[in-house]
Amino acid sequence: MTESIPTDSAQAEDSTEPLLTVEGLRTKFATDAGSLVAVDGVDFTVEKGETVCIVGESGSGKTVATESITGLIDQPPGMIEGKIRFNGHSLTSMTESELRSVRGNEITHIFQNPQEAMNHCYTVGWQIVEAIKIHDEDVTDAEAKARAVDMLDRVGIDNASSRFTDYPHEFSGGQKQRIMIAMALVTDPDLLIADEPTTALDVTVQGQILQLLNDLQDEFEMGILLVTHDLGVVAQIADRIVVMYAGKVMERGSVFDIFDTPSHPYTQQLLDCLPGRGSAVGGIPGKLPDPTNHPDGCRFAPRCAHAVDACKTGSQPEEITIEGDHSVSCVYYTAGYDRSVVEPPSSESTGKKTEVEYSDD
Amino acid sequence: MATERPDRFDQIDWDEIAGSTGRELSVNLKLMLLTGTPVVLLGLYDHFVVGAREATFERLGEDLGLASQFEAIGLTFDPSSLDILFVFTLFLFLWFVLLPLYQNPRMTRYYWKEFKRNRPAVVSLLWLGLIFIGGVIGPFFISMPEQNLIAAYQPPVFGSVDQVHVSQCMGSIENGRCHGTWEYPLGTNRGGEDVFAAVVHGMTVTMQIAFITTTIVAAIGITFGTVSAYAGGWADEIMMRFTDIILSFPTLLFFLLILYIYGAGLGMFILVFAAFGWGGTARYVRSKALSVSEEEFVKATRISGAGTYRIVRRHIVPNTASSVITQLTLIIPGFLLAEAQLAYLGIGDTAVPTWGQLISSGRNAIDFAPWIVLVPGTVLFFTILAFNFLGDALLDALNPKAESEAGGE
Amino acid sequence: MGLTRYVIARAGWAAFVSFTIVTITFLLLAFAPNPSVSEAATQAALQGGDPAQAVEQERQLRGLDQPLHVRYLDFLEGVYTLDWGWSQNRQQPVTAALWEGIYYTAQYSIPWTVLTLLIGPIVGVYSAANMYSWRDHLATGFAFFGWAIPNFFFGIVLLVIFGVYLQWFPIQYSTSVPVFSLANVHQLFLPVFVLVTGSIGSVMRVSRNESAEFQNAEFMKTAKAKGVSVYRAYAYHVMRPTMVPLSTTIVSQLLVIFLGSSLLVEIVFGIPGLGRITFDALINQDTNLVLGSTLLFTFIAVVGNLIEDLVFTVLDPRISYDDR
Repeated sequence: MTESIPTDSAQAEDSTEPLLTVEGLRTKFATDAGSLVAVDGVDFTVEKGETVCIVGESGSGKTVATESITGLIDQPPGMIEGKIRFNGHSLTSMTESELRSVRGNEITHIFQNPQEAMNHCYTVGWQIVEAIKIHDEDVTDAEAKARAVDMLDRVGIDNASSRFTDYPHEFSGGQKQRIMIAMALVTDPDLLIADEPTTALDVTVQGQILQLLNDLQDEFEMGILLVTHDLGVVAQIADRIVVMYAGKVMERGSVFDIFDTPSHPYTQQLLDCLPGRGSAVGGIPGKLPDPTNHPDGCRFAPRCAHAVDACKTGSQPEEITIEGDHSVSCVYYTAGYDRSVVEPPSSESTGKKTEVEYSDD
Repeated sequence: MATERPDRFDQIDWDEIAGSTGRELSVNLKLMLLTGTPVVLLGLYDHFVVGAREATFERLGEDLGLASQFEAIGLTFDPSSLDILFVFTLFLFLWFVLLPLYQNPRMTRYYWKEFKRNRPAVVSLLWLGLIFIGGVIGPFFISMPEQNLIAAYQPPVFGSVDQVHVSQCMGSIENGRCHGTWEYPLGTNRGGEDVFAAVVHGMTVTMQIAFITTTIVAAIGITFGTVSAYAGGWADEIMMRFTDIILSFPTLLFFLLILYIYGAGLGMFILVFAAFGWGGTARYVRSKALSVSEEEFVKATRISGAGTYRIVRRHIVPNTASSVITQLTLIIPGFLLAEAQLAYLGIGDTAVPTWGQLISSGRNAIDFAPWIVLVPGTVLFFTILAFNFLGDALLDALNPKAESEAGGE
Repeated sequence: MGLTRYVIARAGWAAFVSFTIVTITFLLLAFAPNPSVSEAATQAALQGGDPAQAVEQERQLRGLDQPLHVRYLDFLEGVYTLDWGWSQNRQQPVTAALWEGIYYTAQYSIPWTVLTLLIGPIVGVYSAANMYSWRDHLATGFAFFGWAIPNFFFGIVLLVIFGVYLQWFPIQYSTSVPVFSLANVHQLFLPVFVLVTGSIGSVMRVSRNESAEFQNAEFMKTAKAKGVSVYRAYAYHVMRPTMVPLSTTIVSQLLVIFLGSSLLVEIVFGIPGLGRITFDALINQDTNLVLGSTLLFTFIAVVGNLIEDLVFTVLDPRISYDDR
């Protein structure tokens, strides 16, 4: 998978637009306590057939960022600003009904909690057929059913045709997530947005679901935008990674860049939380800043061991390209600072990281 | 979803009560026993010893040899058994609803904060408080309305009525219209009974119906519903079948039948309506409890080896509490309405002055003396309305799930 | 397992319930002094006869001298063969009197039920969708008003305002008006309005509160992500699960009002339906008719409960038929 879209060639083919381009995305919510800025100027792209992971702690704005793409966020209280281009069209200038024809058709979603994600009053078949018929009014009932059964079969539901008429409560959590994937893929989307698709599942089932996503991605040639706080998942599936913190991008790069040379202190600490890697037990000390009142300077500065005065004034530092696609938003990489202070200790960590398995092919 | 909220009213409340696991009595129960026992004894004494025409407290004074002392402090009432039962339910309310609020100030504050956001509910609470106080202490200050045909159809103060309808106008007569006086602030009816006094005495009846029936209905309904839902199997089957029969009784008509055959007063009314009124609550509690017990956390608790009783008390009862409260608020107005309807038909208890009776007494004079219908009708309307608003606000305050949450992760 | 078996079992149960109620009614009557017997005694005493003998005669005439179980079987036979006796007061068989009542009661009950079913859930869900907007407050206010105002009181007030003062609607109910005519709509407008106002309140309230839970549910996000329009999402994904708890409310609310307030509304508006017949029978000591109408209302309640149960079970797929 990684081989098919090497990082270099993506830059070489500058003329062709990526599948999804998000620029300056800013999503805020009107709340009683004032305006809550959940996503504060975020850029990223997803290429065709590529898997991009947005990682960060809970509350860092990653879910809001992905839900802003197709306008899943209720507006009001939400408000989405910025440029979002998909397949050559601007999603931000679309009307709600135009957006609807993209949602569930070209861009589909799966969510964290498969237990609650389906309506308990309808059969799974009905719910998959609904996804088909919404975007294809000409399809006959029999055709739609055949497609749904076929899709259920492909996501690994045994006896798909007889289970078509079963209700969600008759399936296990892992099966429900498979059904959700079937529902998301039945319209042959170009981009699948998966929001913590394995978090609510058993560890053994998690692996199966990720494998399924991996296989289906090859089959459907779709881009995947995956949101997770679980770096184990990231290591298994990602091509590129965007590290988010408090509504801002801290660092981005290929999966190798991030795992081998995590350059932002936040990324380093995130990786340190992985079992068998680094020392941090019990997470990163401190907590996320109040989203209605973000600190000046780098968002991570209050929790950063290396923070200096410059980190706490102005706005989030510009992203500095380290090499190729790999860039980081940290003052230590700007002119006049010694980046070696925050640079990762290179050799030992590469030795340790082998414990996290790569399954990129 | 913020499922973990330490301040959840029902959670704390029930845990607190559940703290007394049989071995040690909670302070609430002790106080209830302390205050409830004399009331029960008085009730039994009233029923078995005191004659029908004797005043309970006079007789009690004689029996205790304290007749003169009793008379000196004015203890000469003759409470009906309904009054005594009412006092008993008031104590229940005091020790098991009001006292826990005081015992958990943190929870009360949170709860009050949620509650007071709902303006109509606060007004409703005030209104019901007014009716409650009027009903409890009003009769001590305002005597029963008495028939006085000379003073029939007096208009309310500031109101007036055509002279021809009034046999003797208590106020001034101007341009052939009789004006009202402060002697009868809300006017009088056909029998010359003071509407204001009748309304105040109607408050007592209203509160008695509300408290006594609700207590009985809640006790039977909650027990029946939760036990049935959790027991499952044949026990559930039998209990729900029994509830079915109870529910299938058209209570009003059944009461009419009893009334027709045997005759019945307010006490019988309360008994019949409470005895047949809990079916809905039991069923509602059961269906809610069933869906709650289907939820993951209860399954998890069960798997972790918690006993049935514990699950019912800690998980099912708290999680159904809010639904029960809505149910009960729906039920009280139903009883009030039923009573008013019977009284309107002229087949209610004529010994107690109720709002329905007052409405009934004015229905033939509505074109010239509308206050007789409008005053009690409006009071009844606002009381039922207040119970509904209150229930709704309680539901909102008790049920944090109903709060809408802005996006975010 | 299986729906058919469940329905049959449930219907059989309903029959048993009605049987139980009939039995209780019989016992109530059997142990009460029979008004016609005491009346015979009074009559005899007034006319200088022997009260005891008159009582004996009357008891024989009415079969009261038979043993209890014989009377019980007779009673059961009478009830289930629809031989409900003779109405003294109306001088016609009880069943005929009740049929006449049903004829008039149905004329306002059917439009009232249909309107409640149509308006209640839709307004409730609409209210939830626009929660805390002025429309929601308006709808909620109306719901509370309708629920709280006693139907008979509301009826009187409307009749005085629109009948007596404004004269927009007739005060007297006329039985000579054809059923399907504008005049009938005209004279039934106020009673139907009063009843709809009364029954719609709790339906609106329950559907609002229940659907509020579902409109924030995860599956609504799934639906939106599938590209489902807001309208469709509410019509299918919110309305459908809301109908489960709501079905219970609707049926029981209609029943409660039918068995209670409709009687009052008939009296206020002078409609000679079942309620009016029952009331007149009560006042005129027409025992057979009182019994007949009570039984009829009871059967209606039993059937209503049966429907409520079936609908609830059919609507919620999570409840298996074996569970209930």
